[in-house]
Amino acid sequence: MRFFPRFLFLLGMAAAPAARAGEIDFNRDVRPILTKNCTTCHGGVKMAGEVSFLYREDTLGQGESGKTIVVPGHPEQSEMIARILSSDPDERMPPPDHHPKPLTDAEITTLTEWIRQGAKWGEHWSFAPPQMPATPEVAKTDWPLADFDRFVLAGIEAAELSPSPPAAPEEWLRRVSLDLTGLPPTLEEWEAFHQAHLADPAKAREQAVDHLLASPAYGEKWAAMWLDLARYSDTFGFEKDPHRDIWPYRDWVIRAFNEDMPFDQFTIKQLAGDLIENPDPHDLIATAFHRNTQNNSEGGTDDEEWRMSAVIDRVNTTWTAWNATTFGCVQCHAHPYDPIPHDDYYRFLAFFNNSEDVDLNSDFPRTKVADDPAKQAEVVRLESFIRQRRDDMNAPMRALATGIADWQTLNFQKAEVQPPTGKLTQQSDGIVVTSGTTPNNTVFRLETDALPLALLRVEIFPEKDEPAEWRGRGAVIAGLEADLIAADGTRSPIRLREVAADFVAGPFDPNESLQGNGGGFGEYPMTHRPRTAWFIPWQAVQPTPGSRLEIRIRHGATCNESQNTVLPRFRLAASADPALIAHLDTPEHHAVWNELDLLRKQYNEIPGITIPVMRERAPEARRDTRVFIRGNRMTLDKVVEPGVPDVFGGQGVGGNRLDMARWLVSPQNPLAARVMANRLWAEIFGTGIVETLEDFGSSGAVPSHPELLDHLALRLRDHHQWRLKSFLRELVLSATYGQSSRSTPELTSKDPRNRILARGPRQRLSAEMVRDQALLLSGLLERKMHGPPVFPPQPDGVWNSVYSGATWQTSQGPDRYRRALYTYNKRTAGYPAFLTFDGSSRDVCLARRLTTNTPLQALVTLNDPAHIEFAQAFAKRMAEAGPEPAARLARGYRLITLRDAPPELVTTLVQLHADTRSEYEKTPAESAKLAPTADEAALVLVANTLLNSDLALNR
Amino acid sequence: MNLYQQLRHERARHITRRHFLKDSSLALGAVWLGTQHGFGAGLKKDPAAPLAPDIPHFAPKAKRVIYLHMAGSPSQLELFDHKPELTKNDGKDCPAEFLEGKQFAFIQGVPKMLGSQFPFHQAGKSGQWISDRLPHFERVIDEVCFIKSMWSDQFNHGPAQLLLHTGSQTPGSPSAGAWATYGLGSENQNLPGFIVLTSGGKNPDAGKSVWGSGFLPSVYQGVQCRSQGDPVLFLGNPDGISTALRRRTLDALNDINQRVATEIGDPETLTRIAQYEMAFRMQIHASDAFQIDREPAHVHQAYGTRPGHESFSNNCLLARRLAERGVRFIQLFDWGWDSHGTDDSTDLRKGFVDKCRQIDQPIAALLEDLKQRGLLDETLVIWSGEFGRTPMRENRGGMEMRNVGRDHSPSAYTLWMAGGGVKPGFSYGETDPIGYEAVRDKVSAHDFHATLLTLLGFDHKRFTYPFSGLEQRLSNVTKPSRVVTDVIA
Repeated sequence: MRFFPRFLFLLGMAAAPAARAGEIDFNRDVRPILTKNCTTCHGGVKMAGEVSFLYREDTLGQGESGKTIVVPGHPEQSEMIARILSSDPDERMPPPDHHPKPLTDAEITTLTEWIRQGAKWGEHWSFAPPQMPATPEVAKTDWPLADFDRFVLAGIEAAELSPSPPAAPEEWLRRVSLDLTGLPPTLEEWEAFHQAHLADPAKAREQAVDHLLASPAYGEKWAAMWLDLARYSDTFGFEKDPHRDIWPYRDWVIRAFNEDMPFDQFTIKQLAGDLIENPDPHDLIATAFHRNTQNNSEGGTDDEEWRMSAVIDRVNTTWTAWNATTFGCVQCHAHPYDPIPHDDYYRFLAFFNNSEDVDLNSDFPRTKVADDPAKQAEVVRLESFIRQRRDDMNAPMRALATGIADWQTLNFQKAEVQPPTGKLTQQSDGIVVTSGTTPNNTVFRLETDALPLALLRVEIFPEKDEPAEWRGRGAVIAGLEADLIAADGTRSPIRLREVAADFVAGPFDPNESLQGNGGGFGEYPMTHRPRTAWFIPWQAVQPTPGSRLEIRIRHGATCNESQNTVLPRFRLAASADPALIAHLDTPEHHAVWNELDLLRKQYNEIPGITIPVMRERAPEARRDTRVFIRGNRMTLDKVVEPGVPDVFGGQGVGGNRLDMARWLVSPQNPLAARVMANRLWAEIFGTGIVETLEDFGSSGAVPSHPELLDHLALRLRDHHQWRLKSFLRELVLSATYGQSSRSTPELTSKDPRNRILARGPRQRLSAEMVRDQALLLSGLLERKMHGPPVFPPQPDGVWNSVYSGATWQTSQGPDRYRRALYTYNKRTAGYPAFLTFDGSSRDVCLARRLTTNTPLQALVTLNDPAHIEFAQAFAKRMAEAGPEPAARLARGYRLITLRDAPPELVTTLVQLHADTRSEYEKTPAESAKLAPTADEAALVLVANTLLNSDLALNR
Repeated sequence: MNLYQQLRHERARHITRRHFLKDSSLALGAVWLGTQHGFGAGLKKDPAAPLAPDIPHFAPKAKRVIYLHMAGSPSQLELFDHKPELTKNDGKDCPAEFLEGKQFAFIQGVPKMLGSQFPFHQAGKSGQWISDRLPHFERVIDEVCFIKSMWSDQFNHGPAQLLLHTGSQTPGSPSAGAWATYGLGSENQNLPGFIVLTSGGKNPDAGKSVWGSGFLPSVYQGVQCRSQGDPVLFLGNPDGISTALRRRTLDALNDINQRVATEIGDPETLTRIAQYEMAFRMQIHASDAFQIDREPAHVHQAYGTRPGHESFSNNCLLARRLAERGVRFIQLFDWGWDSHGTDDSTDLRKGFVDKCRQIDQPIAALLEDLKQRGLLDETLVIWSGEFGRTPMRENRGGMEMRNVGRDHSPSAYTLWMAGGGVKPGFSYGETDPIGYEAVRDKVSAHDFHATLLTLLGFDHKRFTYPFSGLEQRLSNVTKPSRVVTDVIA
């Protein structure tokens, strides 16, 4: 009981007015002490003595010694306190050899009092905002270059390891070039760097990094990373998997990275570029981020079901990409691990529930991307004007119509349905109810006594009165005709001129009800509320006595072939008030029409393609968002307003998508900066500090270096102001990154996955890099950027979608040799070589590719005709070294590694070349399939071998 | 020699051979040993021979698995689960108590009860009930052990397929085939240990995650093979490169890579060497394994196979050829069983009948063929969908449909097994009188996995892999699971 006297003293202190009055807060008071003094050894990377302070369960458990670490309420029984207070240098924590200074009395008091109060835990680590941690003490003070190196070094030293020596300049340059631009350096770049490095290594590295960050290839590399999260693809997905034009979004991402757009802006533009005031002309293109959702064009699907599916995907993608939170769990129930209530899912979903898109095969709504980027501002201006003028036209008509008091509800003596399987019944309130079977071409034929008519009002009602049950199948008037039938049976049509509506929203214009093109006024594809429209005739009708009025309502707006939009309930009324007839001939009304015509003409004259984008529905057209009971969209509960869960600093955040996007990148959100810093770290170092890039919740992995993560997150957000280039510069110029990746048996044994980073990162090339490197080395690479996707060679029969005639037309000319990210991606049949190297199918947001090492990859790089073509071209570049085989082979080795080949290796390759050449001399027909001469064919084989070596396939 | 001894023997032989071949790999061996007590998702196997045959916990009943998955889920009520009570109530409104608190994919309002569309009878010496849709299969019914009380808690295809094959309804967990290959390695180092064949024109709804390796090393994932062109993409040597020349280049490549391994000490380099060697062996042996046209005419007649076309029968014959060659886990997915009755192809009286015809003969032929070759005893054949179908007729949109179909029903479905140590001519578990819910001896996906692993020689609770802070297992750490000992012979 050597600690006993001091322990009693402390207990006395706790009983007296304490140093820290009141309740101990774990995150505020305790976690910093643990993080500063304990978790480096007793945490995620290292659980020395099987003790960890990352989780309460672990902290309340027993270490290797079998003693309980913390006994809530009983500091005197807690081994943690005993060890902190111990005067035995072998016992004391933290160990005196690494930490000469023991904990301060204040710290010990806090810990003791915390345990006495029951050792209450704070929320999960990632829900607390990041705090800039104190820089840890290290022994090897001359090693760190960047601040963050000290955190890494502290871990290395705690693990009783030493950092590895610096990487050779060629190793470092090849690694950093591939990491920053996805391409290896050329020999010229290497020579320049090598010379500069001899003079001043540090300066040479800085210059090289600046050069790489300024290269257009930088944006292409980082876009490839982001497009996995954006689930970017050139097709809709599902069964037929038809083509979708959305590649301008991909180009926007490349440009954003190259321009070093700060990540907060990058976020806001993609999530809410349509809502920004005074936007940049290209901001709307950025919103295609969330139009990369799959669109189900299969016959018979319910567009509302798939609209909702897309909305849910947007919610889950947003949470995975920015916050690494498995928010999808909350769709059906409160989160199993993390404190997120069920309703919060729908509060968040409400941010996304009012966009115009509804899973239509037209991918409505779309925006035009002008062929000439300089015209984009004009496109945006015209689109916004046209929408505004359409509302301007409707608003006065609606005001006039709603001001009319004398309405005569039409009571029908005849109400027939064609085909007769349907039935109409009029209630005493004048509402006509549809029943029976009503296919999509159903026509209602209604007849009543004629009356003076200057305006016809149509009200459409959802099937049910209860607002929670308003949502039902759509209701669209695809045609409305009226005839006057005189007493003698003579028919004269009433010519209708225009349609005014309570509001204009969705893919159809109300005037289409008079044009017979299938669209028109109504709710599509789902009803959400009662609607009203006013049909305005050319002239007021004064019927002769005894005449009758016939009104025909036609349908025809289908959703994916089988879902019809027949009015479920409606009511018609007539008014003799000529206000609207008069309005249509006012100069103001004519002026809006003329302006609209002009604007549309100007718009149509700008060449370009259209792509799907996000557009918010008009305020009048807002959809209510209701909680789905147990996640089922068919069973609806209460209405919720947009909001963000409290646990993520969402208090007071509401409004629209723009508010949500701003919260995501605000300091209130504890996650986005950590998640992005971790993602960039993982790209550079191979594994995230939190290995599960997709999950920072309780079910995800714990950070290997929690303080380092917070340090980096705050550096990224506050110091670098969300600018990725300067942040990445800091990472790659660090001592940690600069280490040699060579491992020793000791390192491999103690740290097989290099989580402690006592050696430099060594990663397999990504799917994109495997192609891009081979293209560059072989001299085939076409550097052209941007534009429609391309079709490099792929095996026959890979594209085999049902009900689809799409074929793969292999690109000819330069487009055959473009970088991987320009390759056409079909969701149901991705480019095989990429999928084999762990590329994403882009069905859903993918936050982390799991790197694999399989025989199928070997088959790709050995046998894929595309890779044989690379080898053929690479052989030609090797041959530039002169006629000597040894010189040619050494050049090949040097092109890949930037190094002189070791003599034994040259011998191996020369022998290979000689053997294969003599074989090809015997079989000229075979040889000719690879190259004109046996010598060249043998060189192709050696080239293929070199490109398959572990040296080439890793960085 | 029993199977256990045999496996031990094979393993010993393999290890000896490997050491003989790699006399220079002393330092590399040390690298591997080092990784065994590393932290994180470290390798548990020799990275240079991750598929080396390994021994389980105790003597296995089955050495390999052929899993026939009918993607979309065939109706148990039209095949194996005989329900006269349901037939009596055909056409009546579904009672409210069957609908309350239930989720359906498509049924709305009050559907009608739907009796079996086909007559049932007892077949074989075991007298098991079966409908008249599988006349060939009846010949082998005495080999078959039915579990009629399977149940799921997932009513959509993707999640249900994942649950049945990985123990979790969300992607990211290893499939049973990956676990088996991880635990047992493969008897044939020249072919993938886990091969997937698909028919019916589509992949399963849940995509490739159904045969994924999840958090296990990716070398254990299923390899999907094609029925036209190269069975595996890029399997054939390019024009102008003979097998001998390819061998020659690989020797040089290995030489380069061995140098890299020694110099840099990255265990992945050793794995890469092994993968290139395996790729080379696959080129030779996979091509041979996939050439079903080498089978004699009577075999084609028995299976009803037509070489060169993608079909379930071709895949059944391939499954036998792969089983013969020692592939550990062979999984067939046949798409087209989602009998909703939305059109003729999903009508129980039309499309479903065609699908039955497509599988009936080849499955019977497969079981007979395996038996005749002495392989059935050590090969576990499993057949199932991912859930069952409702005893109610589907009424999509609340309306009577022209075609006859059934909606998804997770609460009861039938799975059968044959060979590999299961009780032949046996039926386990029962559903309620209308086949709606499993009521006696219910078997969950987790129970099934525990049983499968037992048959393969594993204590399912000790067969684990560390991931995400848990000792993960196929039979699911967080859900209850039991070995269904009654079905084990």
